[in-house]
This record gives sequence, C-alpha cells and structure tokens, in this order.
Amino acid sequence: MKKPITVAIYSGVSKSTTFIERLIKGLIESHVKVLVFGVDNGKSFYSESVKYYTYRGKVNKLFRLCKYTLLLSLFKPKDKKRLDEIIKANTHEPKYLLRLKYYPVLFYKPDIFHLQWAKSIEDWVWVQEFGMKLVVSLRGTHITISPIGNDYWADLYTHLFPQVDGFHAVSKSMSLEAQKYRALPSKIKIIYSGLLLDDMMFLPKTVKKEPLKILSVGRSHWTKGYHHALDAMKLLKERHIYFHYTIIGVDDDEELLFQRSQLDIENDVTFKSELPFEAVLKSIQAVDVLLLPSLEEGIANVVLEAMALGTLVVSTDCGGMDEVIKDKENGFLIPIRNPSEMASAIQNVSQLTLDDYSKLTKAARVSIEQQHHIKKMIVDMKALYHGVLNDKL
Amino acid sequence: MRIGLVLPAVPGYSETFFSNKIKGLEANGYTVILFVNSCNRKTKTSTKTKVAPKLSGNMVRIGMISFYRLSYSLIFHFKVSRRLFILDRDDGINFIQRIKNIIINNHIFSEPVDWLHFGFGTMVLNRENVAKAIGAKMAVSFRGFDIGIYPVKHPGCYKRLWEKVDKIHVISNDISELVYKQGFNNQVPIIKITPAIDIRFFKNNHKTEYNKIPHFITVARLHWKKGLDYTLEALALLKEENIPFHYTIIGDGPQEEYLKFGTHQLGLNDYVTFTGKLSHELVKKKLEQADIYLQYSIQEGFCNSVLEAQAIGLLCVVSDAEGLSENVLHNKTGWVVPLRQPKLLLEKIRNIINLPQTEKDTISQNAKERVKLEFNIKKQQKEFVGFYENN
Repeated sequence: MKKPITVAIYSGVSKSTTFIERLIKGLIESHVKVLVFGVDNGKSFYSESVKYYTYRGKVNKLFRLCKYTLLLSLFKPKDKKRLDEIIKANTHEPKYLLRLKYYPVLFYKPDIFHLQWAKSIEDWVWVQEFGMKLVVSLRGTHITISPIGNDYWADLYTHLFPQVDGFHAVSKSMSLEAQKYRALPSKIKIIYSGLLLDDMMFLPKTVKKEPLKILSVGRSHWTKGYHHALDAMKLLKERHIYFHYTIIGVDDDEELLFQRSQLDIENDVTFKSELPFEAVLKSIQAVDVLLLPSLEEGIANVVLEAMALGTLVVSTDCGGMDEVIKDKENGFLIPIRNPSEMASAIQNVSQLTLDDYSKLTKAARVSIEQQHHIKKMIVDMKALYHGVLNDKL
Repeated sequence: MRIGLVLPAVPGYSETFFSNKIKGLEANGYTVILFVNSCNRKTKTSTKTKVAPKLSGNMVRIGMISFYRLSYSLIFHFKVSRRLFILDRDDGINFIQRIKNIIINNHIFSEPVDWLHFGFGTMVLNRENVAKAIGAKMAVSFRGFDIGIYPVKHPGCYKRLWEKVDKIHVISNDISELVYKQGFNNQVPIIKITPAIDIRFFKNNHKTEYNKIPHFITVARLHWKKGLDYTLEALALLKEENIPFHYTIIGDGPQEEYLKFGTHQLGLNDYVTFTGKLSHELVKKKLEQADIYLQYSIQEGFCNSVLEAQAIGLLCVVSDAEGLSENVLHNKTGWVVPLRQPKLLLEKIRNIINLPQTEKDTISQNAKERVKLEFNIKKQQKEFVGFYENN
C-alpha cells in the first residue's frame, strides 16, 4: 500500500480558526497524515492520523527543548548542525524559541510544510533545505493589506515568494494579488473554502416579517467596513425603512459605539460580542439579510455560510466576493465605500416578494454546493500537495 | 494662590495649551504644582512636579509600592487619608477601590493647594473626593474625547462629579453642550476658555499666490476621530472629476495602515503624501507651502492645528464636529461642512478652488485677524487667572 503523505498544517497554534480546523478534519478523513506544530492552545481532533507536537508552559517547553535536542543530536546530527547555523543567523527572535519551534519540525520532517499565514514565511523557508516542500496559503490581510500598508512585507514577499513550492489561494483575486509580489502563477492553485454542507441545512424563509433584520459578523477591524454600514443604516432610517441591524463581534469598539451615538441610531443597531460558531449559524438563519460591508476580503466565509443556510447576502464587491456572488442572481453586490448604494440594495431586499427572495437564496445554495463543498476543497488540496511533491505544478 | 494641575504627563513641547497656561499663572504670581502619572525624562519643566506611584509591572513590585505608599499615607497624612476613605465610602465606592484611591493619590496629599484642577474629565473618575479630602476646590477641564467619546462607552460616568466639582472649564460651546448632555445641571459655573497659539511663531509668511496645482494639507494624529478616511473619499471624487491636486497628511497614529491602504484602494497614491510626524518648524514650513487646510474630523474639541493654519493664512475647510464650527466661522474665516459626507466636502473644495483670488484673500485675512485677536496666548492666560480668581 502506498505510504500516505504527511502534511504539517502550521498556523502557529494547535487549535486554529474554523476554516483551518475544517481543512485538518477533511485531510484526516481522506487519509492524509497531519502534523500540527506550534503553541498548544487545545486540540480539536483525536485520531491516529493527526499528531500534535506542541508546547505550553515553562516546564513543558524545557522538556520539549531537551527532548528534541537529544533526539536530533543522536539521529540527525548533521541536520541539527545546519539548522543551528540558520538559527544563529536569525537576529529577530530569541534562539531558544526558534529551537523550540524548529526542532520538532526537523525531527519529524513532514513531506509538506503548509504555512497558513504568509507573514511567517521568513521563519519557515529553511524547511526546503531539508527536503520538505513549502506550501503557503494566500489568505486574508496578510496578502491584501499588510504589503500595501508597510513596504517591509512587500519587499519580503517579493524576495521569498519565487522560492515557494506551491501556493493555495482562497480566491482568484488573492492569486492576482500575490502575483504582484512575484508569486509564480504556475505555482498557485485556487482552492475555494469548503463548507460541511451536510451539517448546514438550507432553511427557506416562509414569512416576511418586520422589521427587516440585517446582520454582519466579523471581528472589530477596519477591513470590515462597519462604519460605512452604519452610515448606510442612518440613510435607511432617513428613508423610513423599518429595520434592525446587528453586528456580532464588535461589542466594545469605541469608534462604532461613538458613531452609533453620533448618528442617533442607537435603537436601530445592536453590537454583540463574539459568539461560538453554532450560535453564529443560528443568528444567520434568524435574519433576512447578511450584510458584508468589507473593504477587502478573500472570500468571506460568513457569506458562504449565509448562502448555504438560506439567508440573502448583500456584499461589497471587494476581493474575491464576485467569484461567489452574481449580482441579482444569488445575492447583491454593491460598490465598496458607498453607503448610499448599500442602503439602496438593502431597501431593494426589503421590497422583494417572498418568492423572489426564495429564488435568490436557492440559487445561492446551488452556487455553494457547486463551488464550496468540503469534499471539493480536500480533493483540490490533495491535488496541490501531490503536484508539489511530484514537481507537477 | 497654589494651583495643583492633574495631568497624565508633564506637558510636552507641542502641548502648548498646558505649558502656556502654566507660564501665564506663574507670571501672575501663582504657584503651580503638577501632579502627573508619568514623567518623561526628556520633557523638562521648571514647575514643581509630583509623580503618582506606578502600579504596573510584576505583582511583587506593585505589592511593595502599594504597601509603602499606604503606610506612608497613614503615618504622615492620616487625616487626609481618613477623610478620603470616609467620603469615598459615603459615595458607595467599594473597599478595595477606597484603599487604592489612598495609594494612587498619595503624591497629592503632601502638597497643600487652593485649587486641584484635573486637566481632562477622564482623570477625575474615581477621584471625585480627593480635592475635598485635601481641603482644596476642584476644577475639571473637558476637551473633547473625555466628554464626547468616553461617556458613550461608559454612560453616566460623570454623575458623581457634578455634585462635587466647584468649577468646570470647557474649550468650546459645543463641548459645554456635551457637558449638559451628560447630566450637568448648572450646579456650578461653567467657563469657556478656548485654546490659543503662539501668534509670533505662526506669523504670516505665507505667499500671497496660490499653487497652480492646489495643495491641501492636514496636520493630525492618524486616528479615527480625525475623519481622514472621509477626507480621502472626498478627494477620490475630486480626482474622478479630473481636478489636479496634492494632499499632504502630517502625523502618525494607529490608522496608518488603514489610511495608506485607503489611499491605494482609492487610486490616490500619486496624489497623497504621508510625511509622518514632523517637528514644529517643519510643520510650519509645510503649512506655508500649502493652499487649503482640511480638518474633516468626526470628533474634535477645538483643534490647535486649524488655528495655526489660519494664522499662517491658509484657507480652512473643517467639519462641524464640536468645536470646529467655532474655530472657523462659516463663510467668514473659512468653511464648515457637515461631517461624514464626502460629497459635500468635495463640493466645498471644488467651490473654493474656483473662487476669485480676492475672495480667497478676504477669507484668509479675516481668519488671520480673528485668530490674532481671539486666540492669542495672552488672552488665554488672562482668562485662566480670572478662572481661579472669580468665585
């Protein structure tokens, strides 16, 4: 029987974001051996196919450091010597921390080291020197914002991206963005985020209720464009649309609290703190509109979830959002930074018949089933790994 | 008369509001004592300064400092400590906070003052009884964030203060309105003393001719309060109309990444320059090279930068956030545009660019004269002397 490939999924911590955990789950189920390195903040999976080599606390760190120093000295002395030279050359981080991070990876030597966040690339290019293939995920503000806001990242990416063995891009737009920093198009595979659709039942809306319930979900960060959304809510109020808008994930944001007060929409807008994933899904199902007011996104997972669950999406046309939303076919796309257009789109939704609403949401579910099924994501990801291992990308 | 001024830190060179006030009071025979939370060694002052105990870092250190300060207070300032403890207790402040109050205000106990003046509203929170405990009158200044933003997140935070304070200082009429909005009910006098600038430093060296390509400028911390994103959105609309311009933003702050990304996303990379923070002299030089000063803030106490721009002779466009519409008189010394509406800002900028030279000169001249007359340091210093004298 062919030996399964081993892949290190590295996000810095053992228990990561929903979409990274989903990737690990999918890989385990399709017989890929997964290794997880980094800081121990809990475990999601207990399976023969996944091994955690993580650390936490002073005693544990000391033990791990001693253990892998000894193991490497006994079984891979040459590799250790070379890695120690690399560590010595690194002036950014304490040496003991680098040893703690690097030694287990060198000892277990996965076939693929899949780095989830591009900003850490400088820390991990060394794996290639020891025969491991380096795959980097192109997602989030690491690609779309950081190199624009700070030349350091642009220079770093331009220097290192040409060396990477393979890229996983979460959208076409993300792929194009990475190419600005000399990522080779031939090395990039676009793999759309996959949902566990069997656990996400489509729930058609049966009655039109008032007020129109609008929801946004996401951390408190400027990329989310919430202040444009609040400006739009002010316009909706002036246009006498009966609505209530909730944002989950921003209960303590000073700027938004002030804006809500200044615009006198305190009774129309609710801020909530972060909720567990299941509670977020329930909240999405309970509203009429999922609003994504973002300035930049790869493809927002919350939009995919809303489309799968049967809630109509109004989204800004940022990043890769137009790769999943077709305006007026399975949702609404609006220009970025435009509260007036945002308010008009929501106003249009409020005037839809139940039948029209249903057609749009059903089309959205079909789009998700075709493009964002977890099975498709895992098949594509394995193809990326095999392509990288066989130099066939 | 001895005035105790409670501030976060010793006023730096650019914090002219406080340094001018202190100079003015000292010149008029007052003794000023600064009570600060931290003291930067680089910031020098001849004014007597007492630093609050630093209760941060590891727990052992905090424990030792707390024990020492508490013991010191109880031995050498027993009466004051006891009075503060009882007053706090009567206000329903919990035991731990009462003990904490004795420790953190320990540096104030040893200096007898006639007035204890808190430089920002937020500095008085949980310390409403300190002035009474040491037998002084209490004054509080409200400047912007402390009354415009902080209470939104902490509703009713000044409720206790209104019954304790002896005099309130505000920097604009709008700030005064916000004080009333927070439940103040004319219990004590509320006095407006606006900021002032050094007119001699900002005397007019501005050229009389305007640049062929209009040059806009803003001096501000890169913070959401400053509304720089709305400003950029307005300028993107100006670019769409093929009107050439250049915009310089002087300052640094937490929104640097956001604003640089916005500049990129709006296609304004060739139109906007971020200089970072500059020295006072360089700021003046940059202002002299510009034509129109933009301050399209979301929240603003008063804004010294707008005063400085007017003194130099720039045409100023500001939002109607709090003190700005008092700082600039609409159509007389500049223009005031409703906040958060980039289209309206665009229209105003377009109109100004197309104004005849004579009209621009009139506005510029009006602004210069008004700033010279209304916002000079001597006037401000005189008003502060009156603030403490007139009871």
